Amino acid sequence: MKKILLVLKNELITLISRPSFWLALVGLPLVGALIFAGVGAINKNASASQAISQVVSGPQDMRPEGYVDLSGLIRQIPESVPAGSFVAYPDESSARQALAAGEISAFYIVPADYLQTGKITSIRPDLNPLSTSSAQSTLFTWVLQVNLVGGNWVFANLVNGPLKVDETSLAVATAPDENNPLAYWTPYIITIIFYMLIVGSASLLLSNISKEKENRVMEVLLTSVTPPQLLTGKILGLGIIGLGQTLFWFGTSYILLNLSGQTFHLPADIHLPISFLLWGLLFFVLGYAVYASLMAGLGALAPNLREASQATFIITLPLMVPLFLSSSVFMQAPNGGIAVFLSLFPLSAPVAMMARLSAGGVAWWQPWLAAALLAGTAVLIVRLVSGMFRAQTLLSGQAFNIKVYFRALVGR
Amino acid sequence: MTAVELSHISKSFGPVKAVDDVSFSIEKGELFGLLGPNGAGKTTSLRVMLDIFKPESGSVDLLGGPMTEAKKDRIGYMPEERGLYQDIPLDRCLAYLGSLKGLSPAEVRKRSDVYLERFDLAAFKTKKVKELSKGMQQKAQVIATLLHQPELLIVDEPFGGLDPVNTQMVKDLLLEQHQQGVTIILCSHQMHQVEELCDRIVLIDHGKVMLYGVLEDIRRQFSGHSVTVRTGDKLPALEGVERVEPGNGTLKLHLSPGTLPQQVLRSLVAQNIALEQFEISMPTLDEIFIRVVQGKGVEA
Repeated sequence: MKKILLVLKNELITLISRPSFWLALVGLPLVGALIFAGVGAINKNASASQAISQVVSGPQDMRPEGYVDLSGLIRQIPESVPAGSFVAYPDESSARQALAAGEISAFYIVPADYLQTGKITSIRPDLNPLSTSSAQSTLFTWVLQVNLVGGNWVFANLVNGPLKVDETSLAVATAPDENNPLAYWTPYIITIIFYMLIVGSASLLLSNISKEKENRVMEVLLTSVTPPQLLTGKILGLGIIGLGQTLFWFGTSYILLNLSGQTFHLPADIHLPISFLLWGLLFFVLGYAVYASLMAGLGALAPNLREASQATFIITLPLMVPLFLSSSVFMQAPNGGIAVFLSLFPLSAPVAMMARLSAGGVAWWQPWLAAALLAGTAVLIVRLVSGMFRAQTLLSGQAFNIKVYFRALVGR
Repeated sequence: MTAVELSHISKSFGPVKAVDDVSFSIEKGELFGLLGPNGAGKTTSLRVMLDIFKPESGSVDLLGGPMTEAKKDRIGYMPEERGLYQDIPLDRCLAYLGSLKGLSPAEVRKRSDVYLERFDLAAFKTKKVKELSKGMQQKAQVIATLLHQPELLIVDEPFGGLDPVNTQMVKDLLLEQHQQGVTIILCSHQMHQVEELCDRIVLIDHGKVMLYGVLEDIRRQFSGHSVTVRTGDKLPALEGVERVEPGNGTLKLHLSPGTLPQQVLRSLVAQNIALEQFEISMPTLDEIFIRVVQGKGVEA
């Protein structure tokens, strides 16, 4: 245990004494801070996406827009639309003159056959693909909707969203709410975050071992510590760094969002209880243990980091599968057969189970079973990879390929 | 008392048998030479000895039994391919390697300061290892090996990359350790160094033990049947001498079977030959090594 702690301590000290570590740790939030400081200065009350859009495409033009209604549909501008948002013009030429004079920022032409075709022409002086869903375009849609139902905004509202179901499920939930984009995309976002966390942290071990091998310090170390001690110390040390780095980034992101005037509120439809965070921590730790060990074995076996990197894709493939299937499996049927299999299969479980847990409706025993299977796999892989450390010197300098890796992993 | 005993160890890498039924033992406090040409199986034998490789057959007895975790702290090993962390300062590198051998931070500091001073590295202790010259790194490796004052010291090619001054320094250090009772295994193919330092040797070639025993006995075994003579006089024909081979100011007299060196000496004295040197020819370890490796064996 003492030697594990010594290895752990050395990994911590070595990593945190590197300028590149601090550059990455502080640099990333610093870049974020600069962006959000700029965004915050532009509009303190706008949503994050709106504010970023403003940074990218410039400040939003709040001049009124014009319209030429040749269909005779627009009889009134709803009260909910701010006064002066739209100016009516009798024909296209007068609207063009107003646009040229800068009285309006753009105008719409509602053709005579609008009710048959549903087509509208929008004329604006510049090409601005990012502003297709601007606040004013949305407002004009609302103007049309209200007038289409005869000026009754309550009806227009119902036409906009006719089915507001207050659902009480007696069975296991099957799919997230497609009408709530954030709730719908949550499993996908969780899949990406967990994939990046595990692979990113595990990759630290790959480069660490590769470097020790290139420095030829491994043989010296093995006369003082056993391979399992060395591996455990490294996994724990670099895992703590990876986890700490991630928590730091999340923490600073949260603070920066608040400081820049943005707020981070999950919609009420998305429930991520404390148990989700605890499962997240457990699956991260176990997933990291498995993939960090596999990466360590790869680093031990491959003659250098470049050759090791070629096999990284194959090793992380099981973790990528949930990522590939995210939209078709975890967002559509998070509790279907494929999703359940992937969340129980140890090599894909760290990402797949978290994606399912974020979607909800997971049978209570499944996370426990997945965690147990993953823990067993972690122990097995740590042991197998420890064995590779003895063989690494033997195989050093030999041509490396993925077949050599898997043969060494099973002790052949 | 035996410090190390290898009994019939064999180790293969695929179709290549790196070590084939190797046995030898090393006494406590002995300075023992492990010799062999490149690829002979020396390093593999050391790795088996140190439990880095498991042998397919045979057993290793180290400091009174099989290798244990505690015993690792009593052994110092300097591999042929030097290994130090390149991106960290020298003092931190020594502190880490010393702590893995059970030393407290204070002990590491105290001992490394002494060695760094002795090896003229004190001024470089805060420099990154990669900023040191090859010779300096070599000396740093020696320090890392000795820091925990091991009972058993295994040094693989310790003089490689060192200039004559530093070679002498390392040699003195090994002799000093030897005098302090440390058991030393010196693995090298620099025969003159081994000849100078070791009393007993084992010579491995193609994974097999070719020679093993006391160095003087081996030299005698290979001495053949000849004497070396240095004289200013012209040498007459001598009874029992088959061939005279001129050397560097000397003459090597090859004797016929049954002729003793004493008979030749008597004959020379009787003929009033002014002798400056008369000695029974003893081959150098280099010569023995070449003969064994080239498969010529003991001279008739």
